[in-house]
Amino acid sequence: MNRFSGPAISITALSKSFGSVKALDRLDLSVAAGEVHGFLGPNGSGKTTTIRVLLGLLRADSGAAVMLGQDPWRDAVALHGRLAYVPGDVTLWPGITGGEVIDLLGRMRGRFDRRRRDRLLGMFDLDPSKKARTYSKGNRQKVALIAGLASDAELLLLDEPTSGLDPLMESAFQHCIREVRQEGRTVLLSSHILAEVEALCDRVSIIRLGRRVESGTLRELRHLTRTSIIVETAEPLNDVADLPGVHDLVLEGHRARFDVDTADLDAVVRRLAPLGVRSLTSTPPTLEEMFLRHYGDDGARIPAVSS
Amino acid sequence: MTGTLGLLRFMLRRERVGLPWWLLGATLLVLVQSTQSQNLYGTPEELANLRRTIGGNTAVIAMSGPTRLLDSIGGEVMFEIFAFTAIVVALMTMFLVGRHTRADEEAGRAELMRSARVGRHAPLAAALALAGLADLSAGLLVFAATYGTGLPIGGSALAGAAVAAVGVTFAALTAVAAQLFENTRAVYGAVAFVLGAAYALRAVGDAGNGALSWLSPIGWGQRTFPYAGDRWWPLLLPLTTSALLVVLAAALLARRDFGAGLVPSRAGRATASPALGNAFGLAWRLQRPALVGWVAGLMLLGAAYGSVGNSIEQYVEDNPEIAQFLAGGAQSVVDSYLALTVSLSALIASAYGVTSVLRLRVEETSGRAEPVLATRTSRLVWLASHTVVALAGSALAMLAIGTGEGLAYALTVSDLGQVPRLIGVAFAYLPAVWLIIAVTVLAVGWLPEAAAPIAWTTVGYCAVVGLFADSFDLPGWTQRASPFAQTPRVPLDTLTVAPLLIIGMIAAASAVTGYAGLRRRDFGR
Repeated sequence: MNRFSGPAISITALSKSFGSVKALDRLDLSVAAGEVHGFLGPNGSGKTTTIRVLLGLLRADSGAAVMLGQDPWRDAVALHGRLAYVPGDVTLWPGITGGEVIDLLGRMRGRFDRRRRDRLLGMFDLDPSKKARTYSKGNRQKVALIAGLASDAELLLLDEPTSGLDPLMESAFQHCIREVRQEGRTVLLSSHILAEVEALCDRVSIIRLGRRVESGTLRELRHLTRTSIIVETAEPLNDVADLPGVHDLVLEGHRARFDVDTADLDAVVRRLAPLGVRSLTSTPPTLEEMFLRHYGDDGARIPAVSS
Repeated sequence: MTGTLGLLRFMLRRERVGLPWWLLGATLLVLVQSTQSQNLYGTPEELANLRRTIGGNTAVIAMSGPTRLLDSIGGEVMFEIFAFTAIVVALMTMFLVGRHTRADEEAGRAELMRSARVGRHAPLAAALALAGLADLSAGLLVFAATYGTGLPIGGSALAGAAVAAVGVTFAALTAVAAQLFENTRAVYGAVAFVLGAAYALRAVGDAGNGALSWLSPIGWGQRTFPYAGDRWWPLLLPLTTSALLVVLAAALLARRDFGAGLVPSRAGRATASPALGNAFGLAWRLQRPALVGWVAGLMLLGAAYGSVGNSIEQYVEDNPEIAQFLAGGAQSVVDSYLALTVSLSALIASAYGVTSVLRLRVEETSGRAEPVLATRTSRLVWLASHTVVALAGSALAMLAIGTGEGLAYALTVSDLGQVPRLIGVAFAYLPAVWLIIAVTVLAVGWLPEAAAPIAWTTVGYCAVVGLFADSFDLPGWTQRASPFAQTPRVPLDTLTVAPLLIIGMIAAASAVTGYAGLRRRDFGR
């Protein structure tokens, strides 16, 4: 297969309004070929709008979007032969069976691997002979997932693909995405499940109110945030409060609990060492904490964005 | 049964918008028929003429009811309209009971209800009470419509009771079907089948020795002979049957799991057939069941029209007032009649075309079109897939109309040549139907949110100017925009190709413009 070597997705200053509501506000997003890119944001932040623009379903008001070297609006049909899409809220035709939907979407997409389809049916434990009206939400989601994963598309656009799946199916999904990455294909994964993003994604973009507020590898993002420290020392910990980068300190004589800006972590640990460290627990920030910091009420790092 | 009253109140609230329309529809049928019949056959001589023309026409008897009803003018009203009123009330009742039992259970709403202090039988009991109230209202309204238009009080009371009794029978029948089948469509399908069979049995019975009519709830109602003997005892049949069916439904309900049916739902295909491989295959698969229904219905309608064709001359002689509805006047009565009935059927075919094109909007707003358009299916192909089904489906519908009317007419005049002739006549109206379809495509492309109102307004406009322009003396210009008014009224007028070509070209231009709109707009609104 002839794969595209430039960035898989490159979006610059993309804007899209619905009436007076600004869904995308000069959004930037870059996804390199061959990576699994996490696309995070709260409900209504513009994730689905972005994916719909990439699918050529919506026309952007301004800005540029290039996907696999082509224009998502103009070259929609050609592009669709190279990508697979899994929506987050799957509605199916009530009188058509899951197996038929998978085959239909596969055939319409063009590249369709029947053996892969059958293997996925087993992995996700889906009965393909049931009419869609009898499927639960999780099973409808599986139909869309299998239809998407059964293709060997260069690029997978997944819009919250695992909402409604149980942990067993979640792990099957993660297995499939790792396979996709090994094959050198690209994934844009919009998700609410942060553990999933931490487990799968090479890089992450966080958007809020239609704007990108953060982007980078998880390691880079962690660097911008705080690490939690619980420490017990031989000497009293009196002057910890004065150390640079220390926040939310709870001090109980020889024990202390505090957060430290990850950039200042090294300096703080050097100052603790002479006090005779008896125990030290360091917890790197979880994605969830990072996420909450971007959307939490304290708003320290939230750039002023008017909607 | 705990909670039945509370549920009933809630159900009444849910039905407060839809139910009045059903009741209004049933009342209007009776009201219009009663007024019209009394105008046309008000004198004993006119009624006797009618008995003579219709008494020997098996097709009309099969469509309407037993001829004994023709003994009085009130009976004549029942002869013409009882079966159809009963069908409307039966359908209303079926949807009421189905919606509040199996549909709620299937959607999971009933689970929420049952988790509260609500007894196992309460939803069924409340739904049946609701249906009973609705049927009672329908009966009272039928009484009001007949008695109010001057018919005798005794017969009117019996007519109302008979209509209500048919409704109650189908309420009980739906209650049983809701226990048997897991999904609502199967419930409606089974009950609608019984309703169709009830109509067919009484048709065969009334046309023959009457025995089979006693197997039909509609037959039971008709055989009370309102205004023509007024016998009340046949109502014991629907009441006993309903009581037994309700007991059966309650017993079945107690023996099954929540959400399950006694007839397990069949598994479908695990893999798609080769036919389901692209957008056209999908559109065909989605629209096929509805198309089959429309085609069958239009063929029956055509047959009904055609069967009367031969008696129409005699009929107009007996009732000269009718001639004013026929464009050719009394001279070419049959050809005017054929032109009128085929063009009316064509209007119905265009209603089919509108529902078929609006399937695009259903697919778009439900989100089901999104994964399709995320494949290599272009917007053009997606639009074309449903539009082609609409165009071909409406051609099939016109073929069914021509065949049905042609066959029935051919049999009564013993001239098989009428079949190809009427098929040809039917196809003359096809360009007009296609133009309505194309206008709907245009609306879907440019004004998606308003597409349904625009399309239905177009159909409504064509219907109004087609049906009432002459009788209401509407000025000529009001009709000119209707493609049906521009179509030569074959077989009354001679066929000219030019207007059909122009209509066809406007249709093509509208469809292409519609695509241009769809291509540039946001999808999914």
